[in-house]
Amino acid sequence: MRKQAFLFGYGVQGKTIANGLKNEHFRFHIIESSQENFQHAKEDGYLDVTLSDVTKDESLEGLDVGEEDYLICVMDDEHLNVFLTLSLHALYPNTTIVAISDSIHTTQKLKMAGATKVIDLYHMSANRIHNILRKPVAIKLLDDFITQEEGISFKEILIPHNSYLNGMTVDNVDFQAYGVLLMGMIDLELSNKFIFVTSGIHHKLDSGDTMVCIGEKSDLEKFEAHIIRGQV
Amino acid sequence: MISDVIVKFAYWINGSRRYKTVKTFFANLLNNPDYPYKKYLDSLMIFLILTSVGILVYEVQNPVPEWMDFYDIYIVSILFLIEYLFRFWVYSDLHKSIVREYEKARFLNKEFSLWKPFKTILIGKLRYITSPAAIIDLLAILPAYRPLRILRIFVLFRVFKLLRYTKSINQFVDVLANKRFELFTLLFLLVFIMISAGIAIYVFEEHENPNIDSLFDALYWALVTISTVGYGDISPVTNEGKTVSMLIIVSGLAMISFMTSVIVSAFSEKLGELKENRIIEEVNKNEEFIIVCGYGQMAKTFLRQNEKIGHKYVVLDKDAHRVEQAIKDGYNAINDDASRHDVIAKFNVEYAHITVLCLTNSDIENIYITLNVKSLSRKIKVIARAMDESMKKKFELAGVDHVLLPNSVANMMLVTAISQPVMYNGIHAILTGEDVAHVDEVILGTHSRLVGKRIDEINFKEDKLLFIGIQRGKTGNFMFNPKPETVFHEEDILLMMGLEISITYFKERYRGSIL
Repeated sequence: MRKQAFLFGYGVQGKTIANGLKNEHFRFHIIESSQENFQHAKEDGYLDVTLSDVTKDESLEGLDVGEEDYLICVMDDEHLNVFLTLSLHALYPNTTIVAISDSIHTTQKLKMAGATKVIDLYHMSANRIHNILRKPVAIKLLDDFITQEEGISFKEILIPHNSYLNGMTVDNVDFQAYGVLLMGMIDLELSNKFIFVTSGIHHKLDSGDTMVCIGEKSDLEKFEAHIIRGQV
Repeated sequence: MISDVIVKFAYWINGSRRYKTVKTFFANLLNNPDYPYKKYLDSLMIFLILTSVGILVYEVQNPVPEWMDFYDIYIVSILFLIEYLFRFWVYSDLHKSIVREYEKARFLNKEFSLWKPFKTILIGKLRYITSPAAIIDLLAILPAYRPLRILRIFVLFRVFKLLRYTKSINQFVDVLANKRFELFTLLFLLVFIMISAGIAIYVFEEHENPNIDSLFDALYWALVTISTVGYGDISPVTNEGKTVSMLIIVSGLAMISFMTSVIVSAFSEKLGELKENRIIEEVNKNEEFIIVCGYGQMAKTFLRQNEKIGHKYVVLDKDAHRVEQAIKDGYNAINDDASRHDVIAKFNVEYAHITVLCLTNSDIENIYITLNVKSLSRKIKVIARAMDESMKKKFELAGVDHVLLPNSVANMMLVTAISQPVMYNGIHAILTGEDVAHVDEVILGTHSRLVGKRIDEINFKEDKLLFIGIQRGKTGNFMFNPKPETVFHEEDILLMMGLEISITYFKERYRGSIL
C-alpha cells in the first residue's frame, strides 16, 4: 500500500502544509500554477515541484494518482480552488480530496464540488473564541491538542491481530492504569465511522478496530507498545 | 495660628486614604454614568421628582393630606438639599489647593497666607453655584419654604432637574447647539421683523384699532402673526395694517420652513452618531461584553455562533461598507477605528469586563489595536488573530491574552487528516464544537454533592461522560486523568466530554451552590 499526497498550491497555506508533511515524512508532490509560487517552492528546497496550468484537464490527467492517495487543494485563489476540486473529483472520483475553506459559503461549494474533507478555517477559530470566553480550563487542553508539541495529545492505535483486547468490551479495559483515556474508536462491526465513547453504545473491541486515545505522549506510546506486544 | 491648624488639617485630609475613597465613591455616584450603582440613585431622584410634581398637580383641585405635605416639604426637599450639598462638596478639592499653595509658599520661602487658596476655592465653588444645573437644583429646593406661596411654582424646576437624568433631551440640546450659528441668525432676523412690523402696526393703527393699546400689544400681534399661529384676538383694521400683515405672513412662512430645515438637517447629520452613541450606551450597561474589531469572515462566523450563546457585543470597523454590511446582517456595528484611543475610551473600561477580539486581516492593525487597548487598561482581555506562527511572539509581547492562528490550526488538521484519518474526525468534531464532543467544565460549588467523594465513587460512564481531569483552584495545575482515589474538593473545575444534554444533566445534579 503506497500513500502519497498531491499538494495543489504553494501559497499562504500550501507553504505551512508542505512543511508539516515534510515533518511527518510523507511523500508528496507540489503542483503550482503561478510562476512566482513555483519559484518559492524551488527555493525552499522541494524537489518534486511541477508548474502546470491546473485549469486544463490534460495537465491533471497526467498525474499518477492512485485511490489510496490524497489530493490537497489549497490554491490561493478561492474560485480556482473550487474549480480544481471539481476537476479532480471528476478525474479521480475515489481519491480523497482535502481542502481548506475560509467561509461557510466556500465550505458548501467545496463539498458540492466533491471534496471529501473540508477544513473550515474560521469555524474552528470562532469556536475557539467561544471556548476562551466560557471554558478557560478546556481551552488549555484543546490548545495542547492543536500544538501537538507537549502536554496532552491524541493518538490512534490499531488493535493488532491476536491482541488480548480482542473480544473485550470497552468497560472491561482499565485504560486508567496506563494513564490514558479512550476517547472514541472506529468499530468495523458497526460502521466505518468514528464513534465517541460518550455516545453511549457498548462497544466490543476487535482486531482491526482503531482506538483514539488521549494522554501524555509518553504514556500513549507505552500503551501502544504494550498492546502490540500483546501482554496481558 | 489658625492658618497652621487649617494647613495641618488639609495635610491630614490629603493623606487620608479613607477620605479619598469616600469622596471618589460619591463623585462616581453623582457624576459618573459608567458607575454601576449610579442608576439606583438616579431612579430614586426621578421617583422623588415625579411624586413631588404629582402632588403639585393634585393639590390644584383637591385638599392634600397632611402626610403628603410633610413628604413634599421635608423628605423631598431635604433629600434635594443633601444632593445639592454633596454635589457642591465633590465639585472641587479644598484641601488640595491649600496644600498646593502652602508648598509653593514654602518653596519660595514666602509667608503663607490663607487668602490665596481661599480665593481659588471660592472661585471654583462659585463656578459650580452659577452653573445652570446647580441653579436648577437650588431653585428646586426653594418650594420647601411655605410662607411664600409664589415659591410653589418652583416645583417646576424639579421637572427641569429631570434633565440631568434623561440623556435624550441633552442630546437634543447638543444637536441644536451644533447649529448655533444658523439658529442665532434666524432668531436675529425674527426679532428684527417682529419689531419693525410691531412698530409699523402701532404707528398705523394705535388710534384706529381698539385692540391695540400699547407697543406691547403690537409686538405681541406681530409675533403671533409671524409664527403663523394667528389667534385672531388682534387683527388689523386699516389697509396699511393689512399690507403689513400680508408681508409678515409671507416672511413668517419662509422663516418657519427655514427653521424646520435647519433642525432636520442638524438631526440627519448627527443621526448616525446618535445611533452609535446609543449602541455604546446599551452595551456599556452590561457587566461583561465583547468588542469585535474588524467585520470579516471570521467575525461573521463568530457572531453567527454567538447568536445561540448570546454574549453581548459590539462590532467596530473603520470601513463604512463593511459596517453597513454588518448592520444589514443584523449586528450592532459602529463605524469607528478601534486603534484610536478615544474610541476605546468611550466604553465602560473602568467597571465592565471587556474582551476585545482583533479579527482584522492585518497583523499590523491587530497589534496596534492590542497595544491601544492594553494602554488604556490592563484589565481588558484581548484575543487576537495572527496570520502565521512567526507573528505569535510579537502578539505576546504586545500583551495579547490569547493568539488565534487559524492558518496553523487548519494546517495541523490537514496533516492529521492525511496521516491519522481516524483521529481527524474526532478532533474535527471537538474543535468545531459538535454536539457529540462537547468539552465542558463543571465547577463544584460549596454544597455540591461531589465534594469529598472519590473519583471512583462517581460513575461517569453511566452518565455517558468521559471524565478528563480536574483543575484545582483558579491557579492550580491541571490534573489530567487523575487517580481513582483522588477526592473532589470545593471549587474544583471538572473537565469532561460528552453530549451537551449529558453534561447539562450532570451539572444540574451535582452543581450545588456556587459562591
